[in-house]
Amino acid sequence: MANRLFVLVLLLLSLPALAHHGSNISYQTDKTITLDGTVTEWDYRNPHPQIYFDVKEKDGSVSHWATELLPTPLMLRNMNVGWSRTTVKPKDHIILVCNPSRVAGAKACLAKELTLNGKVWPLGAGPGGPPPPARGATP
Amino acid sequence: MLTLILIALLAAQAPQAPQQKFDPHDLSGHWNRTSRFQTFSNVSSGQGNQQGTAEAPFTAAGKEKFEGNKPGYGPRAVPPAIGNDPMGTCDPLGIPRLLNTEVITPHQTMEIVQIPGRFIQFFEWHHEWREVFVDRKLPAADTVDPTWNGTSVGKWEGDVFVVDGIAFDDRTWLDKFGYPHSENMKLQERYRRIDADTLELTMTITDPEMYTRPWVSDTKLFRLDRAKSSRWDEQIYCVPTEEYKFNQRVRDEAGGRGTAK
Repeated sequence: MANRLFVLVLLLLSLPALAHHGSNISYQTDKTITLDGTVTEWDYRNPHPQIYFDVKEKDGSVSHWATELLPTPLMLRNMNVGWSRTTVKPKDHIILVCNPSRVAGAKACLAKELTLNGKVWPLGAGPGGPPPPARGATP
Repeated sequence: MLTLILIALLAAQAPQAPQQKFDPHDLSGHWNRTSRFQTFSNVSSGQGNQQGTAEAPFTAAGKEKFEGNKPGYGPRAVPPAIGNDPMGTCDPLGIPRLLNTEVITPHQTMEIVQIPGRFIQFFEWHHEWREVFVDRKLPAADTVDPTWNGTSVGKWEGDVFVVDGIAFDDRTWLDKFGYPHSENMKLQERYRRIDADTLELTMTITDPEMYTRPWVSDTKLFRLDRAKSSRWDEQIYCVPTEEYKFNQRVRDEAGGRGTAK
C-alpha cells in the first residue's frame, strides 16, 4: 500500500513535467471558455491528442476550432475509462470547457472538461475525474 | 507543501524492509529519476520548485547563447510557436539533456544494459540509445566529429562508474530550460548505485567557451523500476510528421501564428 501511495505521490509531483513544452504557457490557465460544436477530426496521437471541431457562430458562420488534451494517449488509456482511438468520432456533439489562448482571436484552446454526446469524458484528476492513471498497464 | 507533508507521512508509515543485497557494479535495469531538479543544476533560474542557490557561471558568449535559446519551460518559457526548443521539431535531445530532464515516469524510463566492453543506455523518450565503451581510451578531440550523444568511454573507480565524453553537437541543450554548451564541452558522468533501488548520478561539464569554471550538476537520483522490464515497449517516438501537424494546427494557432485548420 505504501508503495502504491509513493508512486501516486510521484505521479502527482511529476504531472507538470509531463506536460509537453508550452502547453501551459500558450494558454490562459486561469480562464475558461465553453464551446459547443461538432467534431470534425480526432487525432489520438503524441505529443497530445487533439480534437478539431466546428462551432456555429451567432451570425450563422462556422468557426474551426482545435483543442489539445494535456494527457498523452498513454495517460488517457491508463485511466481505464475507455479512451481509445475511436472514443471521438466526426459529427459527435462536443461541449468543451477549455483555457483560451493568450492570443486574442486564436481558435485553439487547452481542454479542461469534455462532454461528448452528453457523456462526460475525464481528462485527469479533479471533479468527475478518474483515479490517477495506473502505471504501465500491460496490453 | 501538501506534497511534502504527504511524502513525510508515507516515509514515516513505510515498513522498514530489510536491506536487499545488490552488486554495486551492476547498474542494469530501468531507472526513473526521482530527484527534484530538471535543470542541469539547481541554479536560481530554474522553474518554481526548481529554485536553487546559484546562477550558472556563464561566460559572455554562454550568456548570449542562453538568451538566444527560447524554451517552453521554466521562467523564460515562451509559447512554442515563438520558441526554438529542439524538442518542438523532434530533433535529438542529446546527452546530457536525456539524462537530467527526460527520464521520468510514466514513459520516459532509462534502461541501462551492461555487456562486455559496453555500457548502453536506452531512453524511452525519443526511443534513443547511447553507447559508452568500457575501458577504452577516449579518442583525441580533433579526431571525432560532434554527434548528438557525443563520444564517451567509461571505467570503474571503486564503486563509481565514471564516463568521460567529448564532441557533443552544440545544437542540443543541457536541459529543457535552454542552457547551452559548445562542441568543445567535456562531460563527466559519475554513476553510483547507493542501494538496491537507487542510482546516483552527478555530472560535471567543462566548457570554457560557455562557462567560466567547471559546472557540477546537483545529485540526480533514479529509482529502479523492477516491473518495467515485464511490460511491452511503449515505443514513445517523437514523430516529425505528427509534431509538425500538431504545431501547425494547434500550437501555432494558440501562439498567435495561426494557420488554417
